[in-house]
Amino acid sequence: MSTASFLFCDPVSPERVRWFSESIAAAVRQQEPGGEGAFTIFLTGDALYSLADARTRDAWAALAVLPAVRITADGDELRLQGLRGPVLSGNPGMIIPGDGTDRTTGAFWDLVVSTLKAEWRDARQAAFLLCSSPYMNRTPVYMLRFLAGVHAAGLRPELYTYLDGVHTVHNGQRPSEFENIGRGVAALAGSAAQSGMDAWFAACSRCATARGYYQMNPGTGFCEPSSCIESIAIRPLRDILARFRERHPVLSHASGYAVPRDDPAPGIPHLVIFITNPPYCTEWTFGGISLAVAAAMDEIPVAVIFIEDGVHALCGTHEVPAADKIFNIQEMLAATLDVEGLQYLVHGPSLEVRGVRPSPEFQGLRQVHNPDLAGILRGTGQENAGRATRMIFF
Amino acid sequence: MDMTEARDFTDLTCTNLMIKLKILLKRLPPGESLTFVATREQVDNTCSPFAGQGYAVDCEQDAGNRYRVRMGK
Repeated sequence: MSTASFLFCDPVSPERVRWFSESIAAAVRQQEPGGEGAFTIFLTGDALYSLADARTRDAWAALAVLPAVRITADGDELRLQGLRGPVLSGNPGMIIPGDGTDRTTGAFWDLVVSTLKAEWRDARQAAFLLCSSPYMNRTPVYMLRFLAGVHAAGLRPELYTYLDGVHTVHNGQRPSEFENIGRGVAALAGSAAQSGMDAWFAACSRCATARGYYQMNPGTGFCEPSSCIESIAIRPLRDILARFRERHPVLSHASGYAVPRDDPAPGIPHLVIFITNPPYCTEWTFGGISLAVAAAMDEIPVAVIFIEDGVHALCGTHEVPAADKIFNIQEMLAATLDVEGLQYLVHGPSLEVRGVRPSPEFQGLRQVHNPDLAGILRGTGQENAGRATRMIFF
Repeated sequence: MDMTEARDFTDLTCTNLMIKLKILLKRLPPGESLTFVATREQVDNTCSPFAGQGYAVDCEQDAGNRYRVRMGK
């Protein structure tokens, strides 16, 4: 038997609510009796609108009444959005910590941390993979609240910045109306050091180089940080992924984990990457696949699931114009089909609802449906092998 | 050494360089070779392992942490 928890900070589309709730409901049916509280779903930020939206609220409400499912909504954020009343009245079974009077805005995040600390019993640290930049996005604020809770709970806070999340490293941040993320990270690192528990904060060197924070010194031929705060070290992705080999939770803007309740199988936790965006106009697909391939090459078992708009990566024949500079995602996939420990899967219902099919080159990929996802989400699928499993949405 | 023709891959992660090399080597016509610039870390972690997979790998230091690598089938 296992427990599984999820955190959603970003908008949750009707499509996602549909497959996720159907998969969780199927997982509940599959589990043995007595599995109360086996699934915990934390909602904050723009994900909270799905609790009030007529297209999605009924699916959440149906899940919330299941004894095995506990849905927790961020009460402080609900107040900010003007949704606390409607969500409270429409969901009597929902847990809503934080009533807007707590000046630390920590009630929701304290519950997140206490849950993961109870579920990852031997963890000494907890991490946040940050893929969004400060100020354009509120996820860095949640990252700070989460890591402050991690530190307060006696765990080492770890921050892995990736894709646009590396903008957190920029020094001299001076927002007039928003919480200063750079200063918050530095303060947290200082607090951790004072308590004898050094924080581990890193930025991916590829992402940092692309954004100008890691520049070549012509004199030495080596790259050096440029305009960076000192609390975050720029490191190769491989160093960041080395942390994934240890047993501790890694949360992100949309993420989850499943941990066996009893004796987890020994070994490195598995990683499941959900590719949910179209392949080219943002860095999500490239970033998710890069991370997955790098993890697999470091012997972390990885399943990549193309789902929602992510299925477009597999359809048609992609041709990069000669004058363009972009990785052909299909060539990237074809070149990595033989990487040991890496498997690519595609969500059948996402293909069906779009009326698309994988190109012949990818028709051999295993299609998964919601009952299969049920096993993956509860940590009992063949992708999990009885080990702890982390899930991250790109 | 002439560096004008060689593509500069020094900004790529080792993983992405591996992917790029697999793609480029797959397209490479018989008898031709691929020349690019890489860092020492990339040469050690990514380029050298191709030698064990039936590829000829030559590497020569150009300047500092820049190496000219030639790979062929």
